[in-house]
Amino acid sequence: MIIDKFISRIFALILSFFLISPILLVVLFAFTDRALATFPINSFSLKWWVEIFNHRQFASCFFNSVTIGLSVAFVSAITGTMAAIGLSKLPAKTASITLAVISIPIMLPPLVLGIALLSFYVSIGMKLGLHTVIISHLLFTQPFVILVVYARMITFDYSVIDSARDLGASPLKAFLTITMPIIQPVVIGAALLAVALSVDDFIITFFTIGAGNTLPTLVFGMMRTSLRPSVNAIGTIILLMTISSSIIALWITRYRG
Amino acid sequence: MRNKNFLLIVPAIAVFSLLFVLPFIYFFLISLWKIKFFKLVRDFNLVNYDKAIFNYVEIFINTYSVSIPVAIITTVIGFYYSYLARFKTGKFGSLMIFIALVTLFGGYLMKIYAWKTILGNEGIINSILMYFSIIKEPLSFLLYTKQGLVITFVHFLLPFSILPTYASLRGVNEIEIDSMKDLGAKFYHVHFMLFFQRCRAGVLASFVFCLLITSGDYITPYLIGGKITFIGNMIAPKFGQFYDWPGGSAMSFTMLTISILIIILTSYLFKLTDPK
Repeated sequence: MIIDKFISRIFALILSFFLISPILLVVLFAFTDRALATFPINSFSLKWWVEIFNHRQFASCFFNSVTIGLSVAFVSAITGTMAAIGLSKLPAKTASITLAVISIPIMLPPLVLGIALLSFYVSIGMKLGLHTVIISHLLFTQPFVILVVYARMITFDYSVIDSARDLGASPLKAFLTITMPIIQPVVIGAALLAVALSVDDFIITFFTIGAGNTLPTLVFGMMRTSLRPSVNAIGTIILLMTISSSIIALWITRYRG
Repeated sequence: MRNKNFLLIVPAIAVFSLLFVLPFIYFFLISLWKIKFFKLVRDFNLVNYDKAIFNYVEIFINTYSVSIPVAIITTVIGFYYSYLARFKTGKFGSLMIFIALVTLFGGYLMKIYAWKTILGNEGIINSILMYFSIIKEPLSFLLYTKQGLVITFVHFLLPFSILPTYASLRGVNEIEIDSMKDLGAKFYHVHFMLFFQRCRAGVLASFVFCLLITSGDYITPYLIGGKITFIGNMIAPKFGQFYDWPGGSAMSFTMLTISILIIILTSYLFKLTDPK
């Protein structure tokens, strides 16, 4: 019994280490002074950060990533929350089928989604740019928002709305003064998850952006040419954006899978 | 009342139909058309499928000889990880789930890049082993090999497999386990009949997701695979420097069809393990 517990702990440690260490290494090597990511580390330095901040394209890429991430979060929070509220009032079976169908884009390889959208936009004569990236990201952020908000809505106590309506509140007033304050943290959390997913996306962005760049497409360009640690510095920035927004999101929504 | 609820879902459905269903139907039609003098010609034919199926046999074999093992390994480790987190590690279990959540959002490109720096000839594993004089020559079977690809994919996909399985294992309570044991259930019974049966849907979903994502990826083979190319590496340039949408589209649908056939076969085999 003790041996069983001991072995379990060892495996738990090994697997957790396997999951987290690549991410920690990216951050670690953003702060070392050698041009190659190898051990032993001689000394720490910030020179890769200086190199990044002086990079000609960095500011515009950062701006593009933030613009796309926030717009995607804003729109998918609205469409997703509306859908989640609507679904929560439907029979559970209808709701779960609708959810499964709307989630199909998550299951498909991003490459297939990216090229299908690219050929569609080009064929209907739509110019590629940040706006095409934003509407494309909605496809895979919206299902996450619906899932998270729906999980909250199925335990929502509608009797409080009914009492407000009985006391003469209009449906809109009831929504704004009662429903919204109650579900607000979940909606914000879901929107932050959407930011994380959008900022992290590379493949769909790559095909639908046309000429511009975001942080991931900039990193990809750098990766193809060299293994310089400045890639780690941008990587760390992307990680900071995605991980911090998702940790805050998970904390406020208490959503666990 | 019903109509009003339906209205709330309309925007989400509109996004789904206009940006997914419509582009996908169009994308499928493209696979039946032709390219003539750098222009799409709406001339129905199956030449693209003929090429997609017969010219890339070796690459399809490459793709699935990596993605099937990846899907199986990830699902097994993901199940084991959530089992450990749920039953075997006490308080450390919630830290394990937190780690899984952090890696879930931890940068698609950066994870692949991290593995490139870990596995390379001058990479982290080799530099540590050489520093301690455990090896003299760098180990070359790590980067640009199938093993390297499998490791990178498994790492990237594990959180997607862990979280749903953990959610279903959370629903198993200790009383059920104890009562099974009191009634004389063996280790095999508790683990197979209770834990595995509870996670059936999650386990199958994990396999499906891992297979679809791995077989359709092209960045990981590009950065980690060296000479091993996936079908995605053939598809992507057809929408970039080589203008051949019909060819790329036919290859995409061939790939999706193969994946779906494998999934149907797997879920059939999976049904055989159902005691009911």
